[in-house]
Amino acid sequence: MRRWFPVAGADDVVPRHVVHTQLLGQELAVWRDDADELNAWENRCPHRGVRLSIGTNTGTELRCRYHGWRFASGSGRCSFIPSHPTQKPASTLRARAYPVCVRGGHVWVTLEPSRTEAEGTEALGTFAVGTAAVGTAEAGGTEAKVPPLPLPAADGLCLRSVYVRAPAARIAAELLRGYRLHEDIEVPVLQSDEFALEARPQGAAADTLRGAWLQLWLQPMSTTETTIHGTMHAAAETPIPAAERLRWLRHHNLELTILRDAAERGGR
Amino acid sequence: MKLYDYELSADCYKVRLLLGILELPYQRIELDAYPDREQHGAQFRAIDPLGRLPVLDDDGVRLCDWAAILVYLAGRYDPSGCWCPKADAARLGRLIEWLSFAQRLAATAGAARLHDTIFEPVDIDACRSGAHELLRLLDEHLWFAEQEDRPWLCGAEPTIADLACFPDVMLSEEGGISRLPYPAIRRWTDRIKRVANFSAMTGVFPL
Repeated sequence: MRRWFPVAGADDVVPRHVVHTQLLGQELAVWRDDADELNAWENRCPHRGVRLSIGTNTGTELRCRYHGWRFASGSGRCSFIPSHPTQKPASTLRARAYPVCVRGGHVWVTLEPSRTEAEGTEALGTFAVGTAAVGTAEAGGTEAKVPPLPLPAADGLCLRSVYVRAPAARIAAELLRGYRLHEDIEVPVLQSDEFALEARPQGAAADTLRGAWLQLWLQPMSTTETTIHGTMHAAAETPIPAAERLRWLRHHNLELTILRDAAERGGR
Repeated sequence: MKLYDYELSADCYKVRLLLGILELPYQRIELDAYPDREQHGAQFRAIDPLGRLPVLDDDGVRLCDWAAILVYLAGRYDPSGCWCPKADAARLGRLIEWLSFAQRLAATAGAARLHDTIFEPVDIDACRSGAHELLRLLDEHLWFAEQEDRPWLCGAEPTIADLACFPDVMLSEEGGISRLPYPAIRRWTDRIKRVANFSAMTGVFPL
């Protein structure tokens, strides 16, 4: 299955840092190089299996904490082994790199197939972007059907991601009870698919909120843990004023943490 | 200046961090807190009958509480006044709040670590769930602090509050408390590691 999931807010992947996250039980080390290229790697050094997330982001490479092996941004290829300083590391030595992209202010990753396996196919990044787009991506020479991509409509206000100790399905069920998009305006939530939802105000509420609406995505970290990511969109003619940005972020964070607590208790 | 110290103590590490940052020379007197419990022995009784560590002795000023030591060292030896901004009452109030928060971290995450490493008899489940509650709040605070461009616990500059909370957070995994759910905390710990004259300890990697 070639399915993309958000794993972090793009602004949360800061320079010279390694984000430690998890997708479908697979631990990831996500990092940005100094040229702004993003990497999402299996969180495991191919040498001795140590977590790469405790290593160092040098700006061009990730250096493993244990024996100092270095892995190049982009390919994940091992570029240097301190104990064999004069030898060029074999091309088979590499961190497992997954396809990664930025959409709607979030970093998106797909676990299948790994970038490593698909190396050489330029078409890897040619998935469609849009709310209900269906596209194709070539990987490893075989054309894979891309499922409806829950990618954001456009850039919007990227919310604080909220971690929940509950499976994605339970969180979706809680969300479907309704979402307070603004103070006392509760709006219906529609489920686009298992991991994507939308809260759109209707009628008078839509006028009050001047066309603002919300997209939410669920990052299944494991079968029992989920992170909720969200983007609030504003109508093009009424963008969110900078002065109101923080107020909106706090509102959605409060709403999502209330929802989190309910999901963890087993329901409201 | 003398510091009665135990390498593996998170509380002692708080003080060593600040001593390093302020570049203060000191004599380190190491006690074997585990397994010998030297801080509860007859010899140490004259220094602190409660057997607390760390203890600072600075030319006759003797303090036996890490928070007291941090406040004292910053007040006396930090000419910039940044590490403990006592002129700003609101900020000082918030700073003390975070020192209390650090005490809660010690009582939960810190206690879980002592349980797993030196067999302290505590309710481990309560310690771990209590720690996660605190880490959630910390992560939330730090995410919004970043949004407001004041990415430290008490504003735009680091203070002793950051140093007080750092050790028990950074060592939490030794107590079975994963920090994977807390990405903003992770960025904050990186920021602390970049402070000039930061020092590491066993279990804490430098950047």
